[in-house]
Amino acid sequence: MDFFDPILLAVIVAGLYMAWNIGANDLANSMGTSVGSGALSIKQVIIIAGVLELVGAVFFGDKVTSRIAKGIVPIDEIMAVDPDLVVIGSLAAIAAAGFWITLATFYHMPVSTTHSIVGAVTGFGLVATIYVDSFSIDQIQWLVLAKIVISWLTSPLIGATLAFIIFTIIRIFLLGRVSDPYNLEKKFIYLQILSACFVALAHGSNDVANAVGPISAAFCAAGVTTGGVVPEWVLAIGGIGIVIGLATWGWRVIETIGKNITELTPTRGFSAEFATALVVFFHSGISIPVSTTHTLVGAVVGVGLAGGLEAVDLSVIRKIVTSWIITVPVAALTSMIIFVILIEVL
Amino acid sequence: MPIEYIRSVLGIFGESPFKPVHTHAQKAVEAVHKLNMAVDAYCHGDYITVETLNTEIFAIEYEADIIKQTIRKLIPSSIMLPVDSNDLLSFLKPQDSITDNAHHTAHWLTLRKMKLPLEITEGLLELMERTVKTVDAYESTVDEIAKLLETSFSKKEIKRILKMIPIVEELEHETDITKKQLQQKIFDHEDELGGTGVFYLISLVRDIGNISDSADTAADRLRTMILRR
Repeated sequence: MDFFDPILLAVIVAGLYMAWNIGANDLANSMGTSVGSGALSIKQVIIIAGVLELVGAVFFGDKVTSRIAKGIVPIDEIMAVDPDLVVIGSLAAIAAAGFWITLATFYHMPVSTTHSIVGAVTGFGLVATIYVDSFSIDQIQWLVLAKIVISWLTSPLIGATLAFIIFTIIRIFLLGRVSDPYNLEKKFIYLQILSACFVALAHGSNDVANAVGPISAAFCAAGVTTGGVVPEWVLAIGGIGIVIGLATWGWRVIETIGKNITELTPTRGFSAEFATALVVFFHSGISIPVSTTHTLVGAVVGVGLAGGLEAVDLSVIRKIVTSWIITVPVAALTSMIIFVILIEVL
Repeated sequence: MPIEYIRSVLGIFGESPFKPVHTHAQKAVEAVHKLNMAVDAYCHGDYITVETLNTEIFAIEYEADIIKQTIRKLIPSSIMLPVDSNDLLSFLKPQDSITDNAHHTAHWLTLRKMKLPLEITEGLLELMERTVKTVDAYESTVDEIAKLLETSFSKKEIKRILKMIPIVEELEHETDITKKQLQQKIFDHEDELGGTGVFYLISLVRDIGNISDSADTAADRLRTMILRR
């Protein structure tokens, strides 16, 4: 199978669509907080986020990408029998995740692209057991999957704890001591620009995998790429897709968020963003895909618990948990159905 | 926006009830200042102005009611505030009474026209002056909440606002003394005023007194809200 194989091209197109979605909504969410506090203008945010997202994706995105490509479903086993199954499986997974994300976005559900792709990949693994005799359910890395799912619960909690600690330190040592708190906020704008950069970098390192994980698996199976490593140009495809998403639609999302989050002053924004970036970047280092958006929500609650926000609406948490529970099985099932259809048609 | 293709974290940010709380306090100030003008007009026999001001105060009271309802809607149980939401509501109630009482007083003024002895006029104007001062001091205290929130309840800001509350209480106390003296003066002039006149003025003075009483209660509840967080 060469690069211009139609199925392989379809995987790339679907991956780019996923990347576009990630840029348009998830990255936009993470960056919107900086616009809300007045630290950056929308143009500045798009330039900064574009550059750092790409850097994060290309230089730090390989670990999580390889985890999604073959860490949950060991594709080597399936490839040994029929490499085409992996290519089709990758297409099914990315299409299912993309479809679910599109639906969720239209209905404003706080669904995570990370959860969608992990569910979809798992679905492919499950359905592959039917088509490959030598591949059994036991071979799916359930322990890895359990670790990932647990981290979805712990990452917002750690984000909340860190944000709580960071803001409490700022509160006690700075806000409580200065004579003019508004002047302090002005100074924090510079720190918030740094934390916004860090968020973009961390986001790139973790979330690019949601788009290029399946591409990477398909390329590997098709023999386009060889060896265990994810080539940088594959990561760059995802990174560029995300930046395009941010530039073509994400700015509107940033605008909406920026207009409505006026309470998140630079000290609060910095605390939430820095905590989020730390948590996400740490998980990229240990090859665990986590949701940046959910971690950010956790961090905002942490700032609120430290008394930093005038009003935090906790009903969102219930919505997130609900969509989290729905996403994994729905994405898995959709992925399985698409896989079966593709196998029957092709 | 044509299609809202958005998944956002926006929902986590509740709308702050504190800004409308301050706007609500400003309505009280507005109403009391207008009432001061109305009492002044009444003492000078300018009943047309009294009528006009009464209508205006009535409109302010209505606006304040709307704001109060908005604030209540902003704090369902899922909203996390830096203070106890019940404390916030129980501080809002007496703050709302300031405007209510100003409105009752203005309305009372429109019910009976009478010429007042000079001593009573002077007493009324003094009482109103002190009432205005009390409510102004109260509003300055509420204005400080913004800074309190900005510093996320720093000890320094808490101290500052806790020092402002006794000022309101002191002014209320002075208003109370003026009120009692004025009540005595009204009875001193009972022959001149007649039974109905005495009843009318005693009620008027009591209504005016309720205004600074409400400000005093609200200031006290504000202190409770800050200390209990």
